[in-house]
Amino acid sequence: MLAKYFRSFKHDLDQRGIIFSFSGYMSEGILYSLGDALRQKMALEDTDVGTVKKVFSVFVEQAQNIIRYSAEKVSGDVGKSVELSSGMVTIGTENNRFFIVCANVVHASDEPKLRQRLEKLQKMDKEAIKAYYKEQLREAPEEQSRGATIGLIEIARRASEPIEFDFDRIDAESFFFCMKVSI
Amino acid sequence: MESLKIAATERSPEVDFDFKHGVLSLRGESYPEDASAVFGPIFEALERFLPTVGNREIRVDFDLTYFNSSSAKALMNMFQMLDNSAAGGARIVVSWFFAPDDDTMKEFGEDFSEDLEHVVFNLVAVESAA
Repeated sequence: MLAKYFRSFKHDLDQRGIIFSFSGYMSEGILYSLGDALRQKMALEDTDVGTVKKVFSVFVEQAQNIIRYSAEKVSGDVGKSVELSSGMVTIGTENNRFFIVCANVVHASDEPKLRQRLEKLQKMDKEAIKAYYKEQLREAPEEQSRGATIGLIEIARRASEPIEFDFDRIDAESFFFCMKVSI
Repeated sequence: MESLKIAATERSPEVDFDFKHGVLSLRGESYPEDASAVFGPIFEALERFLPTVGNREIRVDFDLTYFNSSSAKALMNMFQMLDNSAAGGARIVVSWFFAPDDDTMKEFGEDFSEDLEHVVFNLVAVESAA
């Protein structure tokens, strides 16, 4: 039963074209290792250099957004101070394109601003996104955002289609947020 | 002024600032979660060095293959420091290296150069970019 169950689980992921899926506590070390494996996998498949770079860049920005903004965090001291953020990153292919999906819990109070930023980017064409990126590059970081805006613009800039996103309310204090980018 | 040499790590570039000879270089990739930890020492060294250069010629080489958005902001700050110093009389020559098939790094070079008024900025396509 055990093998049957997990074979079916793996089969389901494979059917969806998933190359990697990580769910759980994300750290900088995990980001590095997954990113490295992702680049190697794409290189082995002779993916062109430009596409590898775009997919990698979107992956890094999404994973760093989880590390920074996930509302599900544990922290403490294990000889050194550690903070881990929970979330999910999934990378796969469909219709001859790569897709990268990230998901994490966000505080309800952060939802309006995040939604507003993403809606603004969805309405922009490539030239407008590029100009917006340059404008943000010169701006001092917004309070408490630790560079969120420019990270989202970088993602939009590498994407082949407008970013898709959604929020699913969990309770009064939180939403399950997810974002999908195609390249 | 003593050179600033920092070895590359998995997620941060090699820093080799030879202040004595006026040759500064950044090489590799940069995607630390906390860009200020990586760029803090670089800014600090430049803040001490740039006011001392007078009208010397300073070469600054950027041989980067990938950086994240928070590193891009830090690089922008670095370019502003260099441009201010060039406005004050230093002859600062920046070379931005990129692999010929790397449109992203080429475009970043173009983006950064657009804001520079006093620095001499060369976009250089090289097969062997790090």
